[in-house]
Amino acid sequence: MSPDIKAINMPKWGMEMSEGDVTAWHAVIGDQVSAGDDLIDVETSKIVNTVTSPDSGILRAIVADPGETCAVGDLLGVLASADTSNEEIQAFIASRSAGTVAKEVEPAPIVQEPAPAVAEPVQEIALAAPIAPIAAMVSSESTAMATLADGDDDSAVAASPVARRLAAEYGVNLNNISGTGRHGRVSKSDLESAITAAGGVLASVSSVQAPGLTDSKSLADGVDDSNVSASPVARRLAIEYGVNLNNISGTGRHGRVSKSDLENAVTAAGGELIRTNNTASTVVKLGDDSHIKATPVARRLAEELGVNLLECRVSGDRGRVCKADVEAVAARKNKPLAPSIDTSGSITIESPFEPEVLTGMRKTIAGRLQSSKQTAPHFRVQIDAEIDTLLAVRKQINAANSAAKVSVNDFMVKACAAALMQVPAINVQFDGEQVKYFKDADISVAVAVADGLITPIVSSANRKGLIAISNEVRDLATRAKINRLKPSEFVGGSFCISNLGMFGIKQFDAIINPPQGAILAVGTGEQRPVVKEGQLSIATVVSLTLSSDHRIIDGAVAAQFMSILKGYLEQPATMLG
Amino acid sequence: MQQYDLMIVGGGPGGYVAAIRGAQLGFKTALVEREHLGGVCLNWGCIPTKAMLRGADIAHTLKEAEHFGFTIDNVSFDINKLVQHSRSVASKLSQGVAYLMQKNNITVIDGTASLADKCRLEVTHNGAVTQYNATHIILATGARARNLPNIEIDGDFIWGAREAMTPTALPNNLLVIGAGAIGVEFASMYNDLGTNVTLVEAETRITPAEDIEISQIAEKSFQKRGIKVLTNSLVESVERAGTGSVARINGPDGKQELAFDQVILAVGIRGNIESLGLEKHGVHMDKGFLIADQFGKTNLAGLYAVGDVAGPPWLAHKASHEAVICVEKIAGVDGVKPLNKDRVPGCTYCRPQIASVGLTEAQAAAAGHSTRVGRFNLSANGKALAINEGEGMVKTVFDSNTGELLGAHMIGAEVTEQIQGFGIAQQLEATEQELAHTIYAHPTVSESMHESVLDSLGLSIHQ
Repeated sequence: MSPDIKAINMPKWGMEMSEGDVTAWHAVIGDQVSAGDDLIDVETSKIVNTVTSPDSGILRAIVADPGETCAVGDLLGVLASADTSNEEIQAFIASRSAGTVAKEVEPAPIVQEPAPAVAEPVQEIALAAPIAPIAAMVSSESTAMATLADGDDDSAVAASPVARRLAAEYGVNLNNISGTGRHGRVSKSDLESAITAAGGVLASVSSVQAPGLTDSKSLADGVDDSNVSASPVARRLAIEYGVNLNNISGTGRHGRVSKSDLENAVTAAGGELIRTNNTASTVVKLGDDSHIKATPVARRLAEELGVNLLECRVSGDRGRVCKADVEAVAARKNKPLAPSIDTSGSITIESPFEPEVLTGMRKTIAGRLQSSKQTAPHFRVQIDAEIDTLLAVRKQINAANSAAKVSVNDFMVKACAAALMQVPAINVQFDGEQVKYFKDADISVAVAVADGLITPIVSSANRKGLIAISNEVRDLATRAKINRLKPSEFVGGSFCISNLGMFGIKQFDAIINPPQGAILAVGTGEQRPVVKEGQLSIATVVSLTLSSDHRIIDGAVAAQFMSILKGYLEQPATMLG
Repeated sequence: MQQYDLMIVGGGPGGYVAAIRGAQLGFKTALVEREHLGGVCLNWGCIPTKAMLRGADIAHTLKEAEHFGFTIDNVSFDINKLVQHSRSVASKLSQGVAYLMQKNNITVIDGTASLADKCRLEVTHNGAVTQYNATHIILATGARARNLPNIEIDGDFIWGAREAMTPTALPNNLLVIGAGAIGVEFASMYNDLGTNVTLVEAETRITPAEDIEISQIAEKSFQKRGIKVLTNSLVESVERAGTGSVARINGPDGKQELAFDQVILAVGIRGNIESLGLEKHGVHMDKGFLIADQFGKTNLAGLYAVGDVAGPPWLAHKASHEAVICVEKIAGVDGVKPLNKDRVPGCTYCRPQIASVGLTEAQAAAAGHSTRVGRFNLSANGKALAINEGEGMVKTVFDSNTGELLGAHMIGAEVTEQIQGFGIAQQLEATEQELAHTIYAHPTVSESMHESVLDSLGLSIHQ
């Protein structure tokens, strides 16, 4: 396999996912894609999500069409470099699934075509290399062939477009061919039969025969085709076209008839493709609307509201988009999802609200945490620690050193760093395939900022003194709140601490920050009744909760970490070692 | 408890500038002020005194109007009106600061603040005490007039600056103790307004911080005007005598006792460091001011100090720049450099005005520079003569090796407006060459700046 060839496989989203439905591609064959680009929309029973490109390269083959269902891990498409040959790509695809031949392979493009401004309603199918020019093969001495050439104007003869073109090339008059195609049309095979019968030689075609064609005379004929292996989309379209699937040779996976197989066959037989609007979630980018007739008010309003005039109904006078049309589009965009249908017939009064689209940080947080919760199987381990000794030590340090303002959370960072050195299995990152065990504890500290949260990192916290950690956290938090952190200061981290103690929260569970393996949630230190040697007593207690990713961290490991952490917190002097 | 990213104590040119810069950078900012926004500078310092001094300038112009052909009889002067003008300017500017606070979403807290703990302020106002948490606290509490061991400002017989700028009547006989910028300005102002002024200075010359040649011209000018200048002299005591006082002055010619209607004490300032709770937290201080590093950090976690309270030079623009540096450093802005004290200009608004920046000739030599000095007397400047202000000079001190402008010293009409030219030259590290080739407009008094530079190169044209 050429090292350039990169597979695009069906990912596994969530433990339960076994397959997904491809709904739309965001690129066409020949496009240059970059790693991380949105590539294929896939729907599972749980979510609709988008497969991103695993790598950069040119999209050379689409193996899974929209409408097809593929198992997790199945090949969906192939990326390669421009100079990878078709054969290599076909071979690669074949190697992934025995007997599968790529349906569509684009020869290395020389010039990259710009992406179309409006999504094609029908999936663009790369054509096989055009039929090589037909060498003159008709023997001018053959009288039979000469006969075939004679006749009146044959433009009215019903013939498939292919047959018509070939006839022209062969120099054959269609009036001389009897058609057996649908409705008596002259098909290519009719033409070729006639030529052969007349002693002519058919042109050698250098490329693979246009896929999808069989020798069958009519695409509609055939026995019951419900057993024919075909993609759900192809099957549905076949019914619409009135085509019997037995007549189509499938080039999809496992020899399935795919939509493009069907469409090629239909086109070859001279039929017209049914153009359907692709209502899948391809991005419809509307173009320049400056040429759309609109009233001046409507135009200005559209600009203010961010409405493209192309989206508007035209109900103004003199065929112009008017203000109401623009408002209608704007209202539709801001409308909440399906208003409740009140079957009792009474009026539902909607509570007033302020809509706000998620942007920026909020959107990122939403996406990452959703993904984290859905991907990482969280389990929680909770422990309480008595921190009276810690509080006294803290007071002592702060009193002795004017430059020190150590907080309980600084102690948490220090203690966690020490505990992580004892239990390295918690000090990890996991990307789904590989576990990274970090040598040092890079501890992310959750900081609430306006509208969200960010987690600046105290790197190598295990190597830093308590006061240094304290100063660093203060500096990071200061700059985090005014959005002045460098990326290196918040990207990464091997462990995270989230502290809601300042709000009086007794205990909570945090969501792991991917790709880290665990996160510690710290509650407030409060006076609680405790039992010591059978006697009721009072201590300052803080509840700690560790959420861990059970793919890579087991219960006993998490428990061990928490036990060691509790030890450090309750006896801070042991951290001095 | 309320929490702020940045809290500032003091609303003067150090404090309010720190607050605005902090707010610009995105900090949740609060400023605590116990009296008036704008601090001493806007309310009881720089601004009102300049307003008063303008009155003195007009008095002088009226006196010399005859030279220009005017006969002006019946000039009467209502000092209260002049004071009113200066107060209304101060009030307007203070309101301006209030507007800036609002515009930048800075919470202004009225009251007196003290440090309850590291990163915690306690503010007392009308008996109510409120505590605030702040990640960073900047002290910009400023300074106040210093007293001598036996001579204290009482606001009655012995005035400080505050009283001196709000007189209800012009004294006949005025003693000004201290010939620094403040004393010299009051001496000049009252003299122009009609008072007999005696100026006493312990050092060998008046304006001892300036270059010696500037001091000499200033003293000569004062004496010509009738201001009695006593240098190398100490005021041993001031005792009440009737409606005025008697001062015992010990000078090089021996002791003398002089009677005065009014005494102004202007012997220096001290930082406002008391009652802030700083002692109990062990904040380092020195000679009545807070010790802060080049970025305003004190030895206490989360505590900073800028402006007058953090030491010399005691100038509003120094406070403002320190404030910006301190806040930007906290915010992690790239490339923040500490304040270069050699680039802080100093202006004295007596008549003739004094303005200087950088090293005096003596300081440059003491620092080991080999220097090239240029001078130009304003009596040779066309514009100065045209406006009848031919008294003064410009002196420029260059490093003869690098051509660097080490210091510039000016005395004359409106030099306080001209010194920025030299300041820019220093900031851009221009040499005498660039300055020599800069084209100055004619006729301006500032051409003398150019001429002084040419003189240092031995290329004087006009002298």
